[in-house]
Amino acid sequence: MEYASSRSRRTDRRRITGGAALDKLAVRPLTLASLTNVFLKAGNTTFGGGDPTMMALKRELGERRGWFSDEQFALVFSLARITPGTNVLAFCAGAAYLMYGWLASVAAVVASSAPSAVLAVWLTVVFESADRNPVAKMTVSGVLAAVVGMMGAAVWQLTKPNFSSKGWPRIVALTGGTLLLREVWGWSPLEIMALAAGIGAMWREP
Amino acid sequence: MNLLVLYLLLLKAMLLSFSGLSSLPVIEADFVEKHHLITERQLNTAVAAGRSGPGPLGLYVVSVGYMAAGIPGAVAGYIAMISPAFLILPILRFLANRAGNPRIRGAIRALLLSAAGLLISSALPIGRATLTDGVTVAVAAVSFVVLAFTRVETLAVVAGSAVVGLAAALLRG
Repeated sequence: MEYASSRSRRTDRRRITGGAALDKLAVRPLTLASLTNVFLKAGNTTFGGGDPTMMALKRELGERRGWFSDEQFALVFSLARITPGTNVLAFCAGAAYLMYGWLASVAAVVASSAPSAVLAVWLTVVFESADRNPVAKMTVSGVLAAVVGMMGAAVWQLTKPNFSSKGWPRIVALTGGTLLLREVWGWSPLEIMALAAGIGAMWREP
Repeated sequence: MNLLVLYLLLLKAMLLSFSGLSSLPVIEADFVEKHHLITERQLNTAVAAGRSGPGPLGLYVVSVGYMAAGIPGAVAGYIAMISPAFLILPILRFLANRAGNPRIRGAIRALLLSAAGLLISSALPIGRATLTDGVTVAVAAVSFVVLAFTRVETLAVVAGSAVVGLAAALLRG
């Protein structure tokens, strides 16, 4: 498991294996423009708050392009939860930083939020002058239904590596326990993640 | 109102919160009750506008800035919203050098599974509010299968779901 930037890993790999081999390994080339484009699309087309956006980014950056590992996702997702402010923006800043450095971090945050911010101002003006359009409301409902499916797919991707006889206790204890603490006892994500990190640090690898 | 003061007030609210709308009580206290910059109704409109579009729930801060001082206020709100995000960078740099430690690896693996539980928790209220008929349940199920088992682009799934939602609305009249 390593957290060095994907760009430096990619450069090292090119040096060792040559460009042709690299092309087989990399799903798509990682450039500042292509990275920013992913954040632009995922950040401004996903409804339902930060978690669906982070899941869309995980899928686009990790599963589809191979730029972002599950371990990197876990680290940035967790730290974004404990960073003050808007979690998803901290996630964008951290994820882009790990992949391409600080310039990408700034580009990712701006690309993932500026168009939506402009839209929010426009919606503010519209809401002040008119009631909500029922057709538009139904369209958004369709998108939100897809968000539920998207989050289910993300849960599948996150738990899949543990689908073994030795991995099940971890899923039950950590995923199930988190759900229980959150839904039944109302623990905050911060408290739950601190407890999970403590348990994980003490739990021997299966 | 002075834009720097507006920025600092919104930044204070953002720095004291750890998720989308948890900054709301601070903004209400400062903007509605203490400084009378906006009304309660305007604050509610700002929250509704922020939640109706794509992007983070914290976008309502931009709308609050707009309500308080027009377009320059919206810019101040936007900068206040994105500023705290960069606090994650020094923490990442600190942890990156310690990633080989078995305890840290174990902790991160546990956080991955805990994140799955938190996601289910986040999906529950959205599901309760959204999956109200056969069409929305079908959209959610198809989206899950496509996103979990194929490499179709997420944007295509989102756009397709919007078209299905729109078609369902038009068919119902």
